[in-house]
Amino acid sequence: MKNRLKVLRAERDWSQADLAQQLSVSRQTINAIETGKYDPSLPLAIKAARLFAQPVEAIFFPDAET
Amino acid sequence: MSLMRLGRKLDSAIAEAKRAGEVAGSAIEHTNRYYGLRLLRVALLWVSTYAMSRGLLELPDLDRNVRILIALAPIPLFVWFLWIWMQGVGAMDELQRRIELEALAFAFPICVVILMTLGLLELAVPLNPDNWSYRHVWAMMPALYYAGLWRAKRKYE
Repeated sequence: MKNRLKVLRAERDWSQADLAQQLSVSRQTINAIETGKYDPSLPLAIKAARLFAQPVEAIFFPDAET
Repeated sequence: MSLMRLGRKLDSAIAEAKRAGEVAGSAIEHTNRYYGLRLLRVALLWVSTYAMSRGLLELPDLDRNVRILIALAPIPLFVWFLWIWMQGVGAMDELQRRIELEALAFAFPICVVILMTLGLLELAVPLNPDNWSYRHVWAMMPALYYAGLWRAKRKYE
């Protein structure tokens, strides 16, 4: 699974810690998601989508679609 | 004396971590630090009691009931330690819980293999209780858990 979390975060000039704080997770979790080492749960993906005001599928997508 | 000083330092660090967590809302790092420090404090108490118990049990002229009491003295502290660990797991985020799960999923089957091997070997040959008793085997379990934790953390770094 790939994602645009890093791009969206950079657009807002947020650090990983800022995003982690807003999603109530650890900075390690944000880092693991951004680097593709961990796929977030559906509730966390929805939370991220709401935070960035975008549909989930605009942020997270399967590898084949890239 | 130095143990008491360390305890006081830990107390103030715990209070500081708690305050920081309250200021930063539900910042998971502060919550983890808070539980980590509490865990460390109880671990120190438990290790001290365990060492004292082991030392006292070396004394030859103790009544049987007293020996049993001394032997079981570290158990409530260890249960307290586990209780705080479980509370800490409850406060973790989803990745941290997965790391814990993977650590346990690594350690548990290996523990089963070790125990089964020892059990079968015990049937075949007499094992020296000075090297292969419960007190030796249980120590392998947390060691395997920490090895699993290290392995799982590396995977998601």
